[in-house]
Order: sequence, then C-alpha cells, then structure tokens
Amino acid sequence: MTVDCHALAGKGLTWAEPEAPADYDVAALLDRGAQAGIDRHAIMPARNPEGYEAANREIARLVERYPKALIGFAAHHPQMEAGRIRKTLSEEVRSMGLKGVRFDGHPGREAMDAVLELGIPVMYYPRLASGQGPARWYHMLAEAYRKVNFILPHLGMYRSLTWWAHVEAIDLAKRHPNIYLDTSGIGSLKYLEMAARELPPEKLLFGTCAPELDARVEREAVRLLKLDREREQKVLGGNFLRLVRTS
Amino acid sequence: MKRREFLALGAAAARSAAAAPPVIDCHAHAGTAQGLQAPWTTFADPEEILRRAAEAGIAKTVIFPISSDNFEHSNREIASICARYPNRFIGWAKHDPVKEKGRIRPMLLREVREMGLRGLKLHVHPTPEVLDTVAELRIPILYHPGRVAQLDEVARDYPAIDFILAHLGSDLSQNWREHAAGIETARRRPNVYLDTGAVVLTRYIERAVQEVGAEKIVFGSDEPEVDCRLELYKIKVLGLPREQERMILGGNIARLLGKYA
Repeated sequence: MTVDCHALAGKGLTWAEPEAPADYDVAALLDRGAQAGIDRHAIMPARNPEGYEAANREIARLVERYPKALIGFAAHHPQMEAGRIRKTLSEEVRSMGLKGVRFDGHPGREAMDAVLELGIPVMYYPRLASGQGPARWYHMLAEAYRKVNFILPHLGMYRSLTWWAHVEAIDLAKRHPNIYLDTSGIGSLKYLEMAARELPPEKLLFGTCAPELDARVEREAVRLLKLDREREQKVLGGNFLRLVRTS
Repeated sequence: MKRREFLALGAAAARSAAAAPPVIDCHAHAGTAQGLQAPWTTFADPEEILRRAAEAGIAKTVIFPISSDNFEHSNREIASICARYPNRFIGWAKHDPVKEKGRIRPMLLREVREMGLRGLKLHVHPTPEVLDTVAELRIPILYHPGRVAQLDEVARDYPAIDFILAHLGSDLSQNWREHAAGIETARRRPNVYLDTGAVVLTRYIERAVQEVGAEKIVFGSDEPEVDCRLELYKIKVLGLPREQERMILGGNIARLLGKYA
C-alpha cells in the first residue's frame, strides 16, 4: 500500500512565496494520487494564520467522507493559539479521529505536552531564514520529547533552497531515533539519494505536498532511488502507518 | 486485428520513432571552480551527467561552467570536455559582464570561433559589450536574471538575439510570480524562450505550454545539481501531443542552434 504522509486540503494560504490564497481540492488530490498509484493520503489544512479550528473540522469531515483514502492531521500555530492548544487538539484527536498534528510555529511546552499525552506524531517545518538549517530548531525538541515522533518535511528544506539544510536534516535523523524525514518537494534529488544511502529505510516517509505539487512527480522521485522492494515498501507507506498506528 | 495490420502499425510506429529528434538538455553545468563553498563553486562532474542522461534517454546536453573566478579558464575546460565527448555535449561559454568588463569581446570571439562553443550562459545582466558581441557572433543566450523584468528590457532592445530564460524565470520556484512574469515575457517577445529546468511548481510548465506555445519551451535540467531524469519526467507527465513534446524535448533547441550553425 502506498501512503502519502503529507498532502493538503481546504482553504488557506500557500507555503510557496509570495504567499497567496489557496483552496486545495480533495477531488483533484485523489485523482492525481490515483494516477501516481497512491492508495491513501494524510491530509492537513493549508496555512491558516487566523485560526485552525474550522480548517481541522473540515479535515475531519473529508476523512469521514473518504475513510479508506484519507488520514486526517490537524494543524495549529502554537504561539497564535497559546492557551487553547491542549483542549482543541485533544478534541480533534479523541472525538474527531485526527491522527497527528502539524505545527506552523515552533512548538513549546504547551503544544508538546499535549502531543505527548495524545501519543500522536508531529509534523513541523521550521520556517528557516536564509542560511539557517533545521538543527537549531529540532535538536532540543527531539531530546526533550524522546517519546514523540517528529516528521521533518521536505528533507529539511522546501525546494532545496539551502543545500546544507538537507545535510543537517539527514544528520538529525541519524542522531535522533524519533526524527523522520519526508521526501516531498525536494529540488535536488541527490540529497534524497544521500538520505536513502545513509539512513535506515525506517527513517524516510514518502510525501507529496500535493496538490500544491504534482504527486506523480513526487512518486517518480522515490522510484528513482531504486530501493529494493522491502525498503521501498517501508518508505512508501509502512513507516508512516506505523507512526500513526493505523492500517 | 489481423497480423498484417498489426505489422503495418508496428512499422509506422518504428518510422515515427526513428523520426523523433534527439532529446537535448539545454541547461547543465560542468567543470571545476575555485570557491569550494557550495556544489556550484566546487565541481560539476560531466561523467555523472552522462550517466543520468543515458538512463533518461537524453542524447545531448548543453554544458557551461559553474560559478568560477576565471571564466576564460572554465570555458577552456568546457571545450576540452566537449572534445572528449563530441557526440554527447554541446559547449557554451559563461561570462561575468561586470567583472570581465572590457575583455569579453576577444574572449568570446575566440571561444566561439576557435573553440567551438555555441552559446552564452549569463547570471549577471548583460552589458552592451556582451550583447553586441553576441549579436555579431549570432549565438543564443541562456539568461538567469535576478528578475524577469531585466530580461524583458534586453530582449526588447536586441530583437535579433534569441534569449532563453532559465528556470522559467525562478530557480527552484522561489517566487511563482517570476514564473508568471517569464510566461508573459515569452508571450510578448518573439525572441524569448523558456527553459524548464529546476521548476518545482510544475503547473507553471503546463501553463507556459498553454499560454506561450510548445515551440517556445525548451527542456533543461540544471544538472548535476538537479536530476535530469526527474526533470524529463516533468515534461513527459504533461501528456502533451507527440509533436509538442518533441519540440520541447529537443526540436526547439536544435532549431535555435541550427540557425547559427
């Protein structure tokens, strides 16, 4: 089974600069995903700096509509929603069935304690300034919350804009048992090859960032790694399903 | 289907395949540099490019230097790599119009007329010295400007020069508005073409084909930093009519180079 660990659904803002309104259509996601041979997508909201509660409810509704094809992730901004995260996230996971959370700001104690209590994985992409890599943002988190599994998207740098961010991400995944890397949106495939060569296959998760990016191209990037069948199955879904404890 | 019909179809497909122009990658870097601070100031391995190109079915690749402190030397290295692989690489020069001010004309004349380089790659905005020499030599320019508006101006002022806009206006899709501006410039200026290399937001390649026409889109990769196999797949996956795909994958760049042969 091929499972995409990183797809987008609903209204909000793009990650691509300059930011613009986005409306990520699930029908388009599923259609192109089927063309790419993807069986399930983990969907999460677009960026919604004004607030995520409505967007997360929409994600839960979509999962209810396509239960076999979708896995729902919530999204939150730990600073902008300070004081409310634990309550809303608990409800989203326990009552609405969402399986993980993406944080759109650096998660502090409140957010991380909530995640630890719920036993869900965290996707966190630090918005890096020019010249920065992800180690500064991830090292303390991964040390302080060893029982929480983190997914670092885009191998640490969306579109490979800073090549050493990929090197840092690979080193982070080597050092910390609880850091995993998602394969989506990488401009320079050689760093994905480096990750596949240097990391145990359990540490890579296939992702697409669709429909912002083309799921077929993202799937082809993993095919070009030429992994043996067992490794490829782990990357293409086995690892992620283990993290979200579903099948 | 009868056997005779089946064989006739097979023969037609074979004739058609034989008529397909070779796939040409218009954008790759090769050779050594002195900086040693990033892949593009260290080394770009031509063997690595050849290996991936062969796997992708790319017949020829246009190569030019990476970021160098001495383009005269780097261009000689390009000519030497092309001499080693004459059927696989097409060499282009690269220059810095500001740092090499006053010296470009004699260098470029020699590089094209004596060393066989067939185009010019620029990152820095071209000066009249560069543009007049290029017009005299009748070679195309692959230009990666800071902003697409810079290309629009020179394309307007030098209509006899063919410009290829690198990365559809924005390397690694850093700014999607520059993709939109590149498409608009190519639509407006008859002498502006678009290179597809290192475009992450691939819907802009599709949009470029729709709005500008396949005859102005040129397949490129930005090897060896960007993998030509995946860049080629980004074109194939569009599912374009065969003629359009052939133009993009080699026909257009072959026509541009043929104009100046």
